[in-house]
Amino acid sequence: MSASPSGMPTSFTLSRRALLGGLGGVAASSALSSCGGFSRPESSGGGGGDTLRFKTWASDAEKSAFTRLVKAFNEAEGVTVELEVVPYAEMFTGIDTELQAGSPPDVFRVDYPTLGTYSSTDQLLDLSDQLEGDLTDDLIPALYQAVQYDGTPFGVPHQTDTTAVVYQPRLLREAGITGVPDSLDSAWTWEEFATVSDQLRASLPDGVFPFAYDWQQLGAYRWLTWLFEADGRLLGEDLRTPEIVSAEGRKALEFTRQFLEKGWVPPNTSVKGATYPDTAFASQKVAMAFVGDFLLPSMETTIGDGFEWQVTYQPRDVRASTDLGGNALVAAAATENADLAATFLRFMVDPDNMRTFCEETTELPTRQSLVDTELDFAVRPDLMPTFVEQATTLTPDDVAQVTVPFFAEINTVLQNELELCFVDGQSVDDTLTNIADALESAAG
Amino acid sequence: MSTSTQAAPAATPPTAGAPLPSSPGRTGPAGRSWRESLVGYAFVSPNLVLLVLFLFVPLVSAILMSFQDVSSFGPSSWVGIDNYRRLLSEDVFWRTLTNTLVFTLATVPTSIAIGLVLAVLLDTAVPARTVLRTIIFVPIVISGLVVALIGLLMFDEGVGMLNGMLAAVGIDDARWQTDGTLAMVSVVVMTVWTRVGFAMVIYLAALQDVPREIHEAAQVDGAGAVQRFWWVTVPMLSAPTFFLVVMNIIWSFQVFDIVYVMTGGGPGNDTEMLVTYAYDQGFGPTRDFGYGSTIGVVIFLLTLVVVVLRLHRERREARSGGVR
Amino acid sequence: MSRWVRFLVVAVVCAVMLFPLYCMLVVAFTPRDALFDSGAQLWPDAFTTENFTRLFDRFPVGTWFLNSVMVAGITTALSVTVNLLAGYALAKLRFLGRDAVFVLIISTMMIPAQAIMFPQFRTVIDLGLFGTFWAVILPSAATAFGIFLARQFLLAIPDELIEAATMDGAGQVRIFLRIVLPLCKPLIAVLVLLAFMAQWNDFLWPLIALKDPALYTLPVSLRFLQGQYDADYGGLMAAALITCLPLVLLFVLLQRYFVQGLARTGIK
Repeated sequence: MSASPSGMPTSFTLSRRALLGGLGGVAASSALSSCGGFSRPESSGGGGGDTLRFKTWASDAEKSAFTRLVKAFNEAEGVTVELEVVPYAEMFTGIDTELQAGSPPDVFRVDYPTLGTYSSTDQLLDLSDQLEGDLTDDLIPALYQAVQYDGTPFGVPHQTDTTAVVYQPRLLREAGITGVPDSLDSAWTWEEFATVSDQLRASLPDGVFPFAYDWQQLGAYRWLTWLFEADGRLLGEDLRTPEIVSAEGRKALEFTRQFLEKGWVPPNTSVKGATYPDTAFASQKVAMAFVGDFLLPSMETTIGDGFEWQVTYQPRDVRASTDLGGNALVAAAATENADLAATFLRFMVDPDNMRTFCEETTELPTRQSLVDTELDFAVRPDLMPTFVEQATTLTPDDVAQVTVPFFAEINTVLQNELELCFVDGQSVDDTLTNIADALESAAG
Repeated sequence: MSTSTQAAPAATPPTAGAPLPSSPGRTGPAGRSWRESLVGYAFVSPNLVLLVLFLFVPLVSAILMSFQDVSSFGPSSWVGIDNYRRLLSEDVFWRTLTNTLVFTLATVPTSIAIGLVLAVLLDTAVPARTVLRTIIFVPIVISGLVVALIGLLMFDEGVGMLNGMLAAVGIDDARWQTDGTLAMVSVVVMTVWTRVGFAMVIYLAALQDVPREIHEAAQVDGAGAVQRFWWVTVPMLSAPTFFLVVMNIIWSFQVFDIVYVMTGGGPGNDTEMLVTYAYDQGFGPTRDFGYGSTIGVVIFLLTLVVVVLRLHRERREARSGGVR
Repeated sequence: MSRWVRFLVVAVVCAVMLFPLYCMLVVAFTPRDALFDSGAQLWPDAFTTENFTRLFDRFPVGTWFLNSVMVAGITTALSVTVNLLAGYALAKLRFLGRDAVFVLIISTMMIPAQAIMFPQFRTVIDLGLFGTFWAVILPSAATAFGIFLARQFLLAIPDELIEAATMDGAGQVRIFLRIVLPLCKPLIAVLVLLAFMAQWNDFLWPLIALKDPALYTLPVSLRFLQGQYDADYGGLMAAALITCLPLVLLFVLLQRYFVQGLARTGIK
């Protein structure tokens, strides 16, 4: 942080001559690069050989976990890693702009589907020589694959999270729903889930809905869970050819389309909706909600003793599946301190550090050795086994389809087309065809 | 009162003080000496440099980019008029264009009309006039972001104030966020809220210039209040009205903050505007700067056309001495 | 219409105008749980300042506030200075291509800022300003509206004053400083308020141009909080209140000059 105690960034001193020059950009930048906003790449990290800038977005729980780990790293290594927390909505706009300005953060956090955008355009540090076998062998293969581009690793999978279904037992009981699945194998089938939703719809008052699904905004890709459950594919084996126009694709789209039509989900939780399921659930607008485990701390804070809530598995069809949540940590190719950046990445995925991070944030580890051990989750440890188990339903094949380099574009397409289908009445066939066309042009 | 002939929403200088020999500018460069030109440019240059650097150069770059396939990183290539072709064939573009026009038609006349009515009511002695005037201005200074957040709070379907109030009078669950028309209404309402004050200030200023004697003379001649308004006041208001229309059109065409934060262009694309769409294309996940710039260029040209047309009409009317 | 009827009509409009601000104020002091349980109430059962304490505990609001003051202050000084200079030249000096320059300047009002943000951003990078306050200050100082107002206002200054001073052998700079500026107080009030307001309220560009959260201005941090506080309107409104209060106060204090100034810019 460049602010002096007064809160006045010291970078703000500028010679009068530069100011009189009106726009003495060059002069100004040399005066300003000393700290301020690290305005030039060669001063990345403030000009020292032992500093790094680590940029991320973070929930409250994540922020405190990151802060703790960064502090530990700084003390252990005698260096300065600066933690910079920014809003998620503008995180990647910020990363993009900094990359173009030639002064990216040395290390940053990126979700798996977005990683390809950067790795395929040579923006990230090649970690081939930096990751030891004892780490790479221990990583969940699908996730290790997710951080690679053309066989080269460009990041470390830091954590994952996955979606399961939280519910209010009382509301289900009142609707006459007695049993709730308590194992993956007994998870509701789509048909059973539809019946449950209908029963809830009949018993809940107006303004309260059976459930909400977490496909809002950049979560549009979570619709693919349904496609995968129907045993459909987004892309063929070559990861280029669209395969969404299929019986499976139609089935998944027809099923999910009913959610709004039948009043199973609140109308403001559509794909472009502004309300997220956890919010709707906490304010008791829905009886069930599809939420990621990373939301548990904030939900626990919000709900408090308000009402009892439990968790169950996502419904299954031909097979079970889930979404690839979670994030990798990567270093920028332009970093001045490649070795230190790599050391920091290794530190973050060290077994003990990964364990404590996941325990504090109720997220899931990416190391197989940790998946098999009992973690001591800080919040609602009773709910976490369901999430842990649900995460195992993701296949390497599912992962491959959501980590192609052009996935960011796919996500935007899904967002637009699904919204048109769910809200504006675009037909199922048109929607699938449009998605396929857009995939084709995105794949280039 | 003549209308200045400059190609800008210029207005006649008030004839306070001595009458002007000639409004400078009419005659163009009198060219007294190169030295005076130099002084003139010296005065204008700081501003010109800023405008050129931060507005003209980017505008030219945007025009160039609109003929390219270019994104944040990676190679860029010239693609001729592909971006424009795509634009014209894209439903979403026509949708956002329609939305922008609807939004403009909904906000501009409303803001100006309400401003005028308030100005007329406040033009004469009213109890607590200053307080009332201040209250109506205040929304002007509120950040678009804050306006949008307040809008979110008021129109929220879950916890919003408005639905709470509507429920009290028996209207349940107005779908401000999920019904396209209502979402547009909510954005228009918040926008008008911020603009009424500006229109009122401008009109108040103009009304103050209507000499009392004329009103008194008309009154002596037996003209009623309505007649006086129509024959004495209205002719004085054509210049401020023109100014307000042009400014409001520009603002409406460039609406961003309120939509971006309040509705994000949703539900569906029902409130997506040209500028938010351009921004999403350029800075969103697709990082398609070429296409985003194309939309930006189109917005600029559209604004230019609309303003020039207004200007044209204004001058024609000024020549024929007509009153709207 | 009698004055009381007029008063009543305007008072009703004022009540409507105040309503959104009232909503913000009430929710900023409503306990978080109450909002979740029963929605936003026009008059909550309990008032609390916890939204503010939570905000100040978790975020460097003070720093953000100072950043805002500084950035808006410098932008205002710069922008008002260049607007006055340019407005004076366009109103009172004769030079080759003056009208063309004026049209050019006015036409920049039609450039949609967000749509050319990307190339604007490249410009800022090329100048080496990215990530510094200058990246926010300089582009904001490039506005045409202020020039337009300044020119309108200055057109009304009698030429004789300037002619007389010229006869006395005063240079243009001296005339501007000694004769013209003292007559410009209402104009300066308008320009200051508009420039300060525009910069204080801007959020998107600073968000893109400032990468370090320590340099954020209030509206940027508000956008940041929106992400952090998903649907926690209490915290958001507390921050919103802090963001707009200084401006509202400034405006209420200056509004008399503001109205006078606008009135005399001669848009009539």
